[in-house]
Amino acid sequence: MKMSETLGVLLICGFLSLVANVVGTKNGFVEAIPGMLFLIALAFLGIWLGKVIPGGIPGVAYVVTIGCILTVPGVPCAAAISAAVSKVGFMQLCTPILAYAGVAICKDLDVFAESSWRIVVVSCVVFVGTYIGSAIIAQLILKAIGQI
Amino acid sequence: MKDFRLHLIVLILIVVAEKIGNISITVGVGKIVLLPMMYALLMGVATAPRFTKISSEKNVKTASSLLGVTLMLLMARYGTLVGPSLPKILAASPALILQEFGNLGTIIIGVPLAVFVGLKREAIGAAHSVAREPNVALIGERFGLDGAEGRGVMGVYICGTVIGTIFFGLMASLAAAYLPFHPYALAMAAGVGSASMMTAAVGSLSAMFPQMADQIAAFGAASNMLSGLDGLYMSIWMALPFAEWLYRKSYRMKYGVDPEPPVVKSLEEGKEREAK
Repeated sequence: MKMSETLGVLLICGFLSLVANVVGTKNGFVEAIPGMLFLIALAFLGIWLGKVIPGGIPGVAYVVTIGCILTVPGVPCAAAISAAVSKVGFMQLCTPILAYAGVAICKDLDVFAESSWRIVVVSCVVFVGTYIGSAIIAQLILKAIGQI
Repeated sequence: MKDFRLHLIVLILIVVAEKIGNISITVGVGKIVLLPMMYALLMGVATAPRFTKISSEKNVKTASSLLGVTLMLLMARYGTLVGPSLPKILAASPALILQEFGNLGTIIIGVPLAVFVGLKREAIGAAHSVAREPNVALIGERFGLDGAEGRGVMGVYICGTVIGTIFFGLMASLAAAYLPFHPYALAMAAGVGSASMMTAAVGSLSAMFPQMADQIAAFGAASNMLSGLDGLYMSIWMALPFAEWLYRKSYRMKYGVDPEPPVVKSLEEGKEREAK
């Protein structure tokens, strides 16, 4: 995908998330714009860095890392950025993504129907096993180090 | 990108989904939280060419090509959630790192069950991990995706894509309601290496514990990143050998004989020729 197209998709998705944000949260459209513009710029920068920096590190790593560094307490502008992006609900960012995913899944439905019931049973057990396994360890360690 | 029909469909879906909002259903002493993102997903599926024909084949194709980029905005937001909580995350880092081993929990029940319901070497592909993209790539490289292990991993991968989001969302709210876990522990556990599964679990948890919402999201995101980093190495060095060992044990228990030795991709052709 060309970078101009990437930016276009980010702008469209940003706009859709803002609509979700207005409908789903108490935040207004205009007050969420600065935060959304920041997120779009950050996502674009990260994707671009992933392309130009050698080493094969995917863009998503840059996106998350830079976003994290810019908002660590004490970094200049951290408070302003945090305040701006706090007007953009993270669940509302997810709604458009999953709407696109829903449309896209249609492609996989045939394969899903073909894979027998056994795989579906095993999948569910795999999800539960991973989740509960991790939760047990997290719970024990958090207790042990006094974080909860 | 210029597929405006698709964007219009999505716009309508999200307005409807957000208008409905969170629904909490009280079940016994706990509650299940349904989130707008889940309705958006289901309604998206319902627009399929095969169901209501609202979206065309072309829309489906465009949507799947856009997915990677649309996820970036969410990941940017996650970065800004982790930053402010970084001191707290560092304080909890032993738990964050060690809970990654919990991902091996899937093998202990997954492999024997898979063998019990009659899967052969599919069991190893299916139950060695939660089967997200890196695991699919790994199994593909080692055994080939057209082999038994490949069928197993692809089955769970597709299952995760289709029902994973909703499954994780419901599982998190049920676990929070009925099991004695702290929301932070459940948030860390949610980071299995899939942004959408993690968000669904984190979304359910934050709807149930709004006063901890930011911390929950930060732990979920941090754990998810960690899974992205270590998940592959964990699969190579621990999960696959362990799954292989447990497969042999389970197989012997069910069928009373040792299973056939694994067919490694590079040797596959030679062995097949020998067999003939």
